[in-house]
Amino acid sequence: MTLAPVDYLILALYFAFVLGIGWLVKRKVNTSADFLTSSRSVPVWITSLAFIAANLGAQEVIGMCASGAKYGIMTAHFYWLGAVPAMLFVGVFMMPFYYGSRARSVPEYLKLRFDEKTRGLNALTFAVMTVFSSGISMYALGLLFQLVLGWSFTQSVLLSAAIVLIYTFLGGLTSAIYNEVLQFFLIVLGFAPLAILATAKAGGWSGIMSRLQPVMTHSWRYVGSSSSNPMGVEVFGLVAGLGFVLSFGYWCTDFLVVQRAMAADSMSAARRTPLIAAFPKMVMPFIVILPGIAALALSQMSVGYALPLKDTGGPDYDQALTTLMAQFYPSGLLGVGLTALMASFMSGMAGNVTAFNTVFTFDIYQGYIRKDAPDKHYLWVGRMTTIAGVVLSIGTAYLARHFNNIMDFLQLVFGFVNAPLFATFLLGMFWKRATGHGAFTGLLSGTAAAAATHGLTVAEGKGGWLGATLHHFPSTMAQNFWIAIFAWTTCLVVTTAVSLATKAKAESELHNLVYGITEIPHEPGVPWYKRPGPLAVTVAIVLIALNLIFW
Amino acid sequence: MNDLRAPIGFFFSLLGLILVGMAIFSPGARAPLTTTNVNLEAGGAILAFGAIMLWLARKSF
Repeated sequence: MTLAPVDYLILALYFAFVLGIGWLVKRKVNTSADFLTSSRSVPVWITSLAFIAANLGAQEVIGMCASGAKYGIMTAHFYWLGAVPAMLFVGVFMMPFYYGSRARSVPEYLKLRFDEKTRGLNALTFAVMTVFSSGISMYALGLLFQLVLGWSFTQSVLLSAAIVLIYTFLGGLTSAIYNEVLQFFLIVLGFAPLAILATAKAGGWSGIMSRLQPVMTHSWRYVGSSSSNPMGVEVFGLVAGLGFVLSFGYWCTDFLVVQRAMAADSMSAARRTPLIAAFPKMVMPFIVILPGIAALALSQMSVGYALPLKDTGGPDYDQALTTLMAQFYPSGLLGVGLTALMASFMSGMAGNVTAFNTVFTFDIYQGYIRKDAPDKHYLWVGRMTTIAGVVLSIGTAYLARHFNNIMDFLQLVFGFVNAPLFATFLLGMFWKRATGHGAFTGLLSGTAAAAATHGLTVAEGKGGWLGATLHHFPSTMAQNFWIAIFAWTTCLVVTTAVSLATKAKAESELHNLVYGITEIPHEPGVPWYKRPGPLAVTVAIVLIALNLIFW
Repeated sequence: MNDLRAPIGFFFSLLGLILVGMAIFSPGARAPLTTTNVNLEAGGAILAFGAIMLWLARKSF
């Protein structure tokens, strides 16, 4: 793929604007709270778009297109069964505790609700995971631009890192959030034309349905048994593993996304952030998954398009998006598409960096290293941590280059850590009796259970490192869903048992942290679309309709 | 900066103008599988979006 001058112009325009926004925001940043948490000042339309954009990294954009080509519309389960129900839950049921506790981060909520060791465990694992995530994002960007455009890996990585560093160093979380909104619109406007053009060429949805096997165009019909669909999953593993544990584990506890809701300017805005975000989230499958399915259909028509092949002979699904862009985007629009891709990498990177610097400064540094310094000091630490975070991410990007199993490994670790964490939060937020000892032991045993499940089962040649193999899963996806189920259940059981055997905090210490001892505000006279309850119901209706339409 | 809609409006308006300009400058430009002047169509949509954002932000000017 070669770029014309107009494409470079578009990329330069994007860089200029993200830097400019960072510079303009700098004036508003005077305290560590401004820099790291936006001091609860951001309007709800911005927090909701940032909520999904921070998560919408390029791995999702490329990965979902790839999965669309490989698994068909079943990929939409990640959105219509996984993400959206979880977003409804966190907005309606969990935000009152996150926002009402006045915690500045997810680990800080754990400290207030449980104890120091639970906070420490979460802060440390989160800090490490988020730096790795950011680095892997950079690695994927460097790799892609090298493959597609022939750019030097180092140049791509350093250029994107430098730009993200500058705008997050200047304006902190607020500039990351503002740029995420820009990146969101760019991603939608940059890829929607591709979805429209590719689908139209393939004959519309009915044309696609007629050219592909039915399992590729129906999301629920073939989920009865793991041998009837290419994902290798059956309905229980899918609903409990993906629909419940994995997605709730991510959307309800991962500080990367929760941080954006916590930056909102009121409790109602914080609760509505994930709910409003659910609307564009439901539409994303049409923008990111549909091109992949269309690509598969096109490769079976004689239009001169074929999915590129890997050296090993199978199709290289990860190249579906970029090869489609080469087929449908002339110079001009091509620049927009590539800039949108760059934007999705950078929003993922900046999201991780701003979550990392907050957790490091408030939870690790202020929590354990220096507790009572003046605020200016923490603002300075926040800025230094931003630099350190970006540098560490660059290091991780090179590490990923040497050990390219790192991406799989990180996915695994996410599952090991997020699944039990969701059980911890459920108990912590809804059961007064849950204790710090319970939470801590629950988390550790949940993670151990995840590791054990992975070590004792095999899927597609992965896992089974504990010697004995107790079960073979038809796919790594099925294995991941079941690892999550076991991890969550173990954490739930252990936390409950240990909590009952240990002393709980007095109710006076749990105000605004647990269901039953928290004021959930009711606002009379507010129109229905500004209230969390009716908004959630509307989302649910649309969601059910989508699932039925593509059944 | 108090209103994010202004910078977003400017960015997408400029982007739309660049694409429309490209469409006018090279009206015959096609990618292998496209048959219409997609730069014009997409550019028009993006420009419209930018204009709407700017209009929504008009109170901050």
